[in-house]
Amino acid sequence: MKNIVEHLKSFFGFFNKGMSEPVPFRMIFTRFRQVLDSHNRAVEVIADMGDKLGGDYLFDINYIKKAYSELSGAVYSSMQNFDVLTKNKYLKLHDVFEGIDNQIKRVIYDVPASTELVIFYDNIAWNMSSDVGGKNSNLAEVKNYLKLNVPEGFAITTRAFDEFIKHNRLEGRIESLGEGAIEESILNELQNLIINAEMPPELNVAIDSAIESLKSIGSFSNSGGTRKGDKVPLACSVRSSAVEEDSEFSFAGQFETILNVPLEGRAVKDAYKRVVASLFSPKAAAYQRATGHDIGKAKMAVGCLLMVDAAVSGVVYSTNPNRDDNTMIINSTWGLGKSVVEGQTDADLYLVKKGVNPEILDRRIGEKGYMLTNQNGGGINTAKIPNDLIKKSSLTEEQVLELSIQAILIEKHFRKPQDIEWAIDKDGRIFILQARPLTRKEDSVPLARTPLSLGQKEEQNPLSVVMKNKGIVVQKGVGAGRVFILRHMEELDRISKGSVLVAKHDSSNFVRVMPYVSAIITDTGTPTSHMASLCREFRIPTIVNAGNATQILKHGHEITVNADDDGATIFDGIVHELVKHANANFMKMEDVYEFRKKRYILRYISPLNLIDPLLDNFTPDGCKTMHDILRFIHEKSVMELVEAAMAGLKGQAAVKLDLPIPTGIMVVDIGGGLDVTERRDKVTFEQVASIPLRAVLKGMMHPGAWHADAVSLKVNDFLSSMIRMSDITSDSMEYVGYNVAVISREYMNLSLRFGYHFNMLDCYCSGNTRNNHIYFRFVGGATDIVKRSRRIDLIAAILKEYGFNINIKGDLIIARLANIRQDEMENILDQLGRLIAYTRQIDAVLHDDCAVERYSRNFLKENYGL
Amino acid sequence: MSKYRIMVIDDEKIVGDMAKMSLEQEGYAVETFLNAEPALARLKEERFDVVVTDYKMKGIDGMEVLRTVKGLYPETKVIMITAFANLDTAIEALRGDVHDFFPKPVKIKELKASIQRALSK
Repeated sequence: MKNIVEHLKSFFGFFNKGMSEPVPFRMIFTRFRQVLDSHNRAVEVIADMGDKLGGDYLFDINYIKKAYSELSGAVYSSMQNFDVLTKNKYLKLHDVFEGIDNQIKRVIYDVPASTELVIFYDNIAWNMSSDVGGKNSNLAEVKNYLKLNVPEGFAITTRAFDEFIKHNRLEGRIESLGEGAIEESILNELQNLIINAEMPPELNVAIDSAIESLKSIGSFSNSGGTRKGDKVPLACSVRSSAVEEDSEFSFAGQFETILNVPLEGRAVKDAYKRVVASLFSPKAAAYQRATGHDIGKAKMAVGCLLMVDAAVSGVVYSTNPNRDDNTMIINSTWGLGKSVVEGQTDADLYLVKKGVNPEILDRRIGEKGYMLTNQNGGGINTAKIPNDLIKKSSLTEEQVLELSIQAILIEKHFRKPQDIEWAIDKDGRIFILQARPLTRKEDSVPLARTPLSLGQKEEQNPLSVVMKNKGIVVQKGVGAGRVFILRHMEELDRISKGSVLVAKHDSSNFVRVMPYVSAIITDTGTPTSHMASLCREFRIPTIVNAGNATQILKHGHEITVNADDDGATIFDGIVHELVKHANANFMKMEDVYEFRKKRYILRYISPLNLIDPLLDNFTPDGCKTMHDILRFIHEKSVMELVEAAMAGLKGQAAVKLDLPIPTGIMVVDIGGGLDVTERRDKVTFEQVASIPLRAVLKGMMHPGAWHADAVSLKVNDFLSSMIRMSDITSDSMEYVGYNVAVISREYMNLSLRFGYHFNMLDCYCSGNTRNNHIYFRFVGGATDIVKRSRRIDLIAAILKEYGFNINIKGDLIIARLANIRQDEMENILDQLGRLIAYTRQIDAVLHDDCAVERYSRNFLKENYGL
Repeated sequence: MSKYRIMVIDDEKIVGDMAKMSLEQEGYAVETFLNAEPALARLKEERFDVVVTDYKMKGIDGMEVLRTVKGLYPETKVIMITAFANLDTAIEALRGDVHDFFPKPVKIKELKASIQRALSK
């Protein structure tokens, strides 16, 4: 009960703020529009950059410089207006902006090596392999870009290596090693000197503070480290990451990796020295000489990652080096994977057919006699494997398939077959520990968004076209798969990999499935929405505003989507030739190193990490890209406007709305909302010029939607409303009597109180789709909580049909929708008007859960009887 | 039949690399140069069917490339691309008998179409 009261209080709280509000609402509204104007400009530049840098254009650095300066200018200007709008509530955003801006400029202006000694994985960018070494750089890509599970950790940079060597005056010795043959004794002596060397004071401090940060991260879940609730001290693995390592040359097994190092200064630093020393081991020196590297110039960065308490570990070869049949191999064993890597134990082997839906072709369960485990206090133990596990498969089928999917993602990303080390902890979480190229004669990997497993069916001939020249192409390309018609957001998790996602409305929530779907088609939407940027980022063939794709396309049917300059064509069935050809072309452009390098800038611009405003990361600090900043500004600006609209009410001249139904709405016009020539006390529906208010009123007045007779309350309901009465009245009763609409021609903020429930609708409805939004809130009621909650369910069920993003807490519902075309929005607002009217008293008749479904169905069929 | 030969001159590596990749896909033989001097030296050795050149480069610029090419091989077509497009440069280039003129970023598809037209004449 307390919750509900809190909700009501906070709702009324909006009214209260009005007392101390000096800024006229009209000015706030002007600021809001300025925020949106520059916001829109910025989103357009992001879209243009995605397009021009997409592989279809020859561009040069001048274009990038020009476009980025326009973008950063627009974001900055949006941010400044936002500061005024929010009275500097989010100044932190400036720091975040500056950080991202610096990263981008680093790429544009090719700023050389970092001066940092230690860099956390989260901050390692693609062009930093000369700073953090190949292994760290690759793993950071897997973590930061592919978003796969990688233990938290940091890199000790090559700059730190330089400082370390200089501090101990070893540079002369190293340089003199040169390229020729070196006596083993000289190398052994050098290694000894390194192991006993002193850490430079700065590096000492940097490592100590990194360890402290890692400890605090490590105590959270999902970061490697220990299991939730475990009190075992944290440990880490200290791994070599030489500059050339894991690039063209794998250096596999040449350098030292030390497992289960206690996470404290001394142990980590000792391990660091041992790893650095391994750069000069006779074995590594021979390898470097053989591969044409000058050992005198070699540099060693080091990675320090939280140790995974592994139940199972092993290696995946993402492409089977022995066969040319599109298969991969997974090796696994109990405990730590060192024994698999070093080939010491008889491991399990799984042969998997690659594809969107990988298939296990063969498995060979090894006789696993012993395993390696983490020893308390550091180091590794060898333990006998219990009898019942010796011949048991160390992986479940699901784990094999999940590992395969991750391996395919990694391979696609690096565009080369990969040798991947992984571990599964005792909670069953998969961690990627290393990814390096697998040396093989044929290196190119097709980037095919193809459902390989669907390949059995012969393609239709002649090709039958299901849809042509409809919608706007957001991302060109070819994608094929089974149609998945998304009715509600909850179904998102049921989409099988490789499907073509077809939905009524676009949504940035689709980002969750973007790595896996073949194509996306939406009935509505714009090419500059957040979703559109994401699709370009993920390079998913995407068509928006396709009209009635959800009706034309059939759930479960196979189709091929071809989106190119000439528009979009959708074919019945899988057209293999098309898929093959399109992907082959694109593939090669990605192989142009300069292209990938320049395109990298988009990483800091287009991805969207802030999806849900109700999640904890929806803060300035959660913003990782320019797009995130824009998203944050947009969402918070709408909130600010909603609050200001409520607060700015006092002192505004309000006129009564004279309607055939008794809504009791007072109207405050802040510009162009009413079509009246002189001041008056009443206005009629005909005089309402505000586009959104007209639409809502039209719905409220729709025949049958508004029930004039009171639905009788049960005794229970009446009592419960009496009890809550005092809570409600204690908080600012004087404003409760108002039903108010603050309007302009394109804007409306409608606050309604009917009986004991409160309804708020904030929207902007204009010809510019990108500016349009609806924010709908409903809370409270006179009946008992069960019935009130049923009414919330009913509202949710109906709003879902219109593509709203919905959040429910008790008897409070908040629903949002943005980027809607004006005509469509007017239609939705009309429906919302009907819904507002219809649901006024409906809770009283929602006697059971089935009634929710019945009445929502009725509503959608325009049957408004109670 | 031997392949058509295309030369691309641009002082930014990415332009040449991307052009080479896309034009080789069409079956052309492509050579790229980061500045005009070695490009013109190469042209003296051998004829190319189409020369795609940046307009503004340090040292020898696009207009001079155009004049030299036309002096050596009047039938070789020259396509000019530039990041600093304005009407004057376009007019200047067109007077100098350029086959086509594109502002950067250039749509690869359009460049390919223009090359095809140049070769079919």
